[in-house]
Amino acid sequence: MELTHRSKLKLLAGLGAAAILPAGPALAQGYPRRPVELIVPFAPGGGTDLVARAFADAAKAHLERGIGVVNRTGGGGAVGLSEIMAARPDGYKIGLGTVELAMLPHMGLVRFSADDFLPVARLNAEPSAVTVKADAPWKTLGEYLEHAKANPGKIRVGNSGTGAIWHLATEALADKLGLRFNNIPYEGAAPAVTALLGGHIEAVAVSPAEVSAQVQAGQMRILGVMAEQRLEAFPDVPTFRESGTDLAIGTWRGIFVPKRTPAEVVETLRQVARRTAEEQAFRDTLKKLNLTWAYLDGPQFAEQVKAEDATFKALMTRIGLAR
Amino acid sequence: MDNLHLLWGGVQTLATHPTAILLSIFGVAAGIVIGALPGLTATMGVAILLPFTFSMDPVSGLLMISGVFFGGIYGGSIPAILLRIPGTPAAAATAIDGYALAQKGQAGLALGVATISSFIGGTLSVLILIFLAPILAGFALKFSASETFALAVFGLSIIASISGDSLVKGLIAGFAGLLVASIGLDPMGGFPRFTAGYTELFTVPFIPVMIGLFAAAEVFKSMEEGELRARAMAQIGRLLPSWPQLRGLTGTLLRSSGLGAFIGAIPGAGADIAAYVSYNEARRFSRTPENFGKGEIAAISACEAGGNACTGGALMTMMTLGIPGDAVTAVMMGALVVQGLQPGPLLFTDHAELVFTLLAGMLFCYLVLLALGLGSLRFIGRVLMMPRSVLMPLVLLLCVVGAYAINNSVFDIGIMLAAGVVGYFMQRWGFPASPVVLALIMGPMAEASFRRALSLSNGSYDFLWTRPITVALLALAAVTLLLPLLRRRKGGGPGGTPEALPATAAGKE
Repeated sequence: MELTHRSKLKLLAGLGAAAILPAGPALAQGYPRRPVELIVPFAPGGGTDLVARAFADAAKAHLERGIGVVNRTGGGGAVGLSEIMAARPDGYKIGLGTVELAMLPHMGLVRFSADDFLPVARLNAEPSAVTVKADAPWKTLGEYLEHAKANPGKIRVGNSGTGAIWHLATEALADKLGLRFNNIPYEGAAPAVTALLGGHIEAVAVSPAEVSAQVQAGQMRILGVMAEQRLEAFPDVPTFRESGTDLAIGTWRGIFVPKRTPAEVVETLRQVARRTAEEQAFRDTLKKLNLTWAYLDGPQFAEQVKAEDATFKALMTRIGLAR
Repeated sequence: MDNLHLLWGGVQTLATHPTAILLSIFGVAAGIVIGALPGLTATMGVAILLPFTFSMDPVSGLLMISGVFFGGIYGGSIPAILLRIPGTPAAAATAIDGYALAQKGQAGLALGVATISSFIGGTLSVLILIFLAPILAGFALKFSASETFALAVFGLSIIASISGDSLVKGLIAGFAGLLVASIGLDPMGGFPRFTAGYTELFTVPFIPVMIGLFAAAEVFKSMEEGELRARAMAQIGRLLPSWPQLRGLTGTLLRSSGLGAFIGAIPGAGADIAAYVSYNEARRFSRTPENFGKGEIAAISACEAGGNACTGGALMTMMTLGIPGDAVTAVMMGALVVQGLQPGPLLFTDHAELVFTLLAGMLFCYLVLLALGLGSLRFIGRVLMMPRSVLMPLVLLLCVVGAYAINNSVFDIGIMLAAGVVGYFMQRWGFPASPVVLALIMGPMAEASFRRALSLSNGSYDFLWTRPITVALLALAAVTLLLPLLRRRKGGGPGGTPEALPATAAGKE
């Protein structure tokens, strides 16, 4: 039914275009003829959803037909990502992919792999920030890591769920330096931050935005961020790299399409994503929401996804998460 | 006193701010509609409206969102009472007595009590937020995994209160619920359990199960009635409780509001838990506990006051600690941040003027809720005048749409229908549905926090008896579960079932 309807539409559209529009190379494909559906694998109101809605809003000026945001939640992103992977590769159902698409496949939980997606553009990225209470004995990252070395398994580090990116960030650190932490999974970052505030755990590894309120109030201290460069919002916090640990790990969110999407459609989307991401309004909205703008064009983004996919695979195999 | 002064300043600012007033009215109205439609939640409403607030001034935007939040929690009670469709998990508790009362032809009274109790519970919780926030805020931090575990166990013990006629059947239903709750991703290790390879089952589709068990089961039951009579389902009856009735609810309202605000302040615990706990405590303190489950207005009042009082508690944790306790407050926190107000300990002092205008506006939102609620009840109650042969298919349609809307998933419709069939047979054989819902809410919470507590203590079980709050809650759970058994032993005469006894006793009076 879907097919006949669509082909009818295409036929009508084609006739319409032939009759009214002067033929041009950009219009040859006529994409998009109807609104584009943007699948968000997480619930309304979360960081991923907010990025998607801000993007859809700003894209109005560049994509005539507009973008509709659809939340397909469940399974820590697995349900929505599966749907993006299985979507008809025609550019009418695209997805807001997150770092989970390079993680879930290694856990044996899903039928897709990172290769099933074609990155169009990265929109946002957040590094992992190792955060402790303000009255903690460790003033610097070095002191903290030294303590961890002397007391293996004693430091309790809260994360947003087993196998989630912040858990892997802690594991990557442990793996790199031969340390051992007691990882405590919570249902999301907020409960982990609460537990740290209440003194039930010693540290959390979550995104800087998730602790910024407490840091500004002087209740918590970020010891270091696993980013390439220092953050605009926290210029005093050193990166891990500066402190001698070569580690940059965090979440990212971007526009993805299924693998076999036609090149012209991908090209159109890439242009739209670039122009949208460069809109001042989009950047301002992200900033207001405490999200870091991190546009990266499709090809470079694809390299990053590929590299991280390999890193995660190796790491998850080593720590026994891979199946 | 200082706060009173600031609040008065807030009221005055608000009075000169017609946009904010109009938008809060709009927010409450939208919230009630969203809450009343099964499958649409306050979280969704808030998330969808959030982008519109970017361009508004802070007070207007935040009040509109608060209105949706408040209205959404109250709105769930309307279909729960009228049609046994719990629009929200909290409303599943309201449905127990609300629907029973509606079936007795007193739907109006049930709705009226629900509206007034929501208003009082919500207002008291905002007042608690205004005057006691600094004192109570730290309390949320005392709750570690072991306390949350104890709270969940206490929640599970409430099965004893909502089992209706047979405690054994209630426990069976509860354990079945716990089994269902174990489907999905293991909360600590992330392993899939009993999912048969369906990613859709990674998280238990809780709301479809609830809609199925309550509403769809009711529709299936109605098919049994041989002739499809074109009669009206029930009368609406009077809307407002009488003065003595209302006075009789004072204790329940105060207790439930306090409990609700308290529970709302604990991260991870929300209106659903507050509603069930309030129900349990109302029954414990009631002089007629045998009426609970059969259309007791104190039960409706407790659930609604408790559920709505959560709003103030949740806002307190979010505003003073910068920690959102649930999805709605997470979105609201986003809204605050967007407006340049960083939630946290400094919010009340750095932005006192704005915050107190906001708090005054929240009180206003609850007034609007009362007015809109009472004003529309007569009209909403008309639903019941529809012939059953028209109404019941419509209810089923709503169930399907609602189950789909939660995750935009056709799979969930199947879950809902399956739950409906199960619910039908449960009803037929006298198994209550609410213990299943309770188990689905509390089971995963109990499991995750127990195992988390074990991780935190490096494998030692000491947390079960060394932490005072944990011990108190576990003791409370034991009392709740054992009390009905003790009562039975005391009252169990020969021949008469224990449940029949209070009824005959009441008959003699």
